[in-house]
Amino acid sequence: MTDLDGWRRQARAWLETQLPAFGKAARIGLSEPEDLAFGRRYQRAKFDAGFAGINWSPAFGGRGLTPLHKLIFDQEEARFDLPMGYFGVSLGIAVPVVMHHAPDREWARARVIEALKGETIWCQMFSEPSGGSDLAGLRTRAEPHGAEGSEGGWLINGQKLWTTYAQYADYGVLLARSDPAVAKHKGLTFFWVDMHAPGVTVRPVRLAAGDAHVNEIFFDDMAIPDSQRISAVGAGFATAMATLMIERYSASDPAGHGPPLSRFIETVRDRCINGRPALEDGRVRSAIARAYAMRSGLDAIVTRAMLMMEAGMEPGPEGSLNKLVAVRSRQKLSELAIDLMGHEGLAWDRQGHTKEDWVASWLGAPTLRIAGGADEMLLNTIAERILGLPQDHRPDKGVPFNQIPV
Amino acid sequence: MSVVYDEAQQAIGDAARRALAAQADRQRQLAALEQVGAFDLQFHEIAARQGWLAMALPEAHGGLGLGLIEQGIVAQACGGVIAGTPLLATNAGVAQAIIAGGDAALAGRWLRRLGAGDAKGAVAFAEAEAMLPDTAATQWDGTTLTGSKQGVPAGLVADVALVWASRDGEPVLALADLAGASRTAIDSFDNGRLHADLIFAATPATALAQGEAARALALDLLARMATITAHEQTGGAEALLWIARDYALARKAFGQPIGAFQSVKHRIAELYALVEIARANCIHAASREGQPDFLLAAAAARLSAGEAYDTAARDCVQIHGGFGVTWEGGLHLHMRRARSLAIELGHALFWEDIAVDELVGGVLVGSRA
Repeated sequence: MTDLDGWRRQARAWLETQLPAFGKAARIGLSEPEDLAFGRRYQRAKFDAGFAGINWSPAFGGRGLTPLHKLIFDQEEARFDLPMGYFGVSLGIAVPVVMHHAPDREWARARVIEALKGETIWCQMFSEPSGGSDLAGLRTRAEPHGAEGSEGGWLINGQKLWTTYAQYADYGVLLARSDPAVAKHKGLTFFWVDMHAPGVTVRPVRLAAGDAHVNEIFFDDMAIPDSQRISAVGAGFATAMATLMIERYSASDPAGHGPPLSRFIETVRDRCINGRPALEDGRVRSAIARAYAMRSGLDAIVTRAMLMMEAGMEPGPEGSLNKLVAVRSRQKLSELAIDLMGHEGLAWDRQGHTKEDWVASWLGAPTLRIAGGADEMLLNTIAERILGLPQDHRPDKGVPFNQIPV
Repeated sequence: MSVVYDEAQQAIGDAARRALAAQADRQRQLAALEQVGAFDLQFHEIAARQGWLAMALPEAHGGLGLGLIEQGIVAQACGGVIAGTPLLATNAGVAQAIIAGGDAALAGRWLRRLGAGDAKGAVAFAEAEAMLPDTAATQWDGTTLTGSKQGVPAGLVADVALVWASRDGEPVLALADLAGASRTAIDSFDNGRLHADLIFAATPATALAQGEAARALALDLLARMATITAHEQTGGAEALLWIARDYALARKAFGQPIGAFQSVKHRIAELYALVEIARANCIHAASREGQPDFLLAAAAARLSAGEAYDTAARDCVQIHGGFGVTWEGGLHLHMRRARSLAIELGHALFWEDIAVDELVGGVLVGSRA
């Protein structure tokens, strides 16, 4: 472990040097576009220091280290409130697809490196108004279009929804229906698009917590050449699934990206319930103990997975539990923390950070229980993939998409 | 910190599961429920022969020089088939107390025999509903014990007991030869655990620790035994998870396997989550033996394993419908064991308090949880 311990220390030491410039204190009161500018500079600093693309090939601007090195850096980075969220989908999902699947390798290399430097941002356009969990049911059309010279091209029409940071994106990866006459999984094709091109309209969607980091996107006769196709025609669903597996062992947070338990204890330490100290109340104690038992288990799962990776073994599927279990816990613990603050819990700090502020954590928790796989879909995945239980009844199975009743 | 089992440790688990499968007999287990004082001799002999009771003892005392990780692996295998007397944990606890006490004569007298299974140990901390009372009613006067302990696991067959007592209001951990005590069997809902009330009347006993040292040692011993038992609970929960899954695949209703209904499949998926969290906590706790956060890690293991086993017992029975509640079906063996293990070594509320005391005391600093 000495090598990796050294790497962890190196990462932490570097991150600490970045705090004065990019930490929370340096960014208080910034508008989101201003914060994004800090984010771009921070991403560039990571690139220059060799902490961007840690496990990517040096040919694509990466460091060429292992996924474990990446995981360790991410764990350390998560300890601080740094402006890295804008690049999560871009570098975690969209850019790796380009790196692995885009046919024009020179073009791909240039795009990957500029994205790693924080100069460009990519978004991922999968979900739509009519379906998120049922991804293969998407309706955005990609129709053959001859106007782009001899290679041919595609005309894109439709609407995407819930697309993270699309308002800042320069490019996006897009899953669209190229053949409505075959079964729904078989008629999809994967493309990349220029988000500044004619025919693309991006509109932020404000969420319950007041923030607007997701968007709706309209495609109106957007013409793209066939060279922007990333998968074989009709093979887009498999590429989309591969996309979701790229960062299989991404850093997870046992606190569900909410405040840690130490914060909860700090919040309630000097508070009372009916005149008695809250920390002596059995209900509060039970909540703390249960949350700890669950979170320490999730933490131990990650540690074990990392040890297995280090030993060249494949970690078990239990790593997939974190989001399901941790975010539910965060939601309930946030409710309890607000309860225990009484009327003082009514205050809403619009700049509140979800790792520190209970109201921000509570308001944002439902989003996380839905984004990237709703709880119910995660339970289905566990039941079907891990435990071998049957799929749900699916009346649209094998039916050509254009014959599925709406 | 945590561990990934190495080849030798995996081999211990494989050997344990093989040995246990060879003697598994539901009828024998069902029969034992209806007998007070029945003792699963087959299991005890396997445990002794396989060296399971001697694993954590030093080699100088006939032990294998292993630790909680290996004890946990075996306990998990035992839990999977509802095997086991309490001795897996209690013999280990009594032996560890004797080692910690540092009395060479006691060590010479008991350790080898406890490890070989020739002697049986009980741990008698609880009084009435309290796992570890501030001041035990059982008194130690310097040479003998007087008082009583209720529902002591393994109490019915133990040769020696580790007793939580007091002297002038100060805690004492004393070792008593049970030849000098009387006992009354309890007809319990899980009779294989050999629960008995122990009555001490000027019973000769030697103090292993006194005052705050006694309390610290008692908590350390509880953490060790709770870690072993948490593995056993996890083994039981894991077995129920797969029993439920197999039944949900085989049983058909309304034209499809019941496992295709989300109400059933999600319930089983939730069990998977509980089992994996418990397993991870168990392995972690076993790897923290002797470290400052060991008590907290043991509490987390104990809490999550208890929740997993109780929930798995409830849900597995529910998924089986009427067949889940028959005597012959035997799922109630797990239900019963889940509850007896939940009470022995301190119920969940006891461990919640331990966890919170540790957390509020500052152990959490630096944790990502």
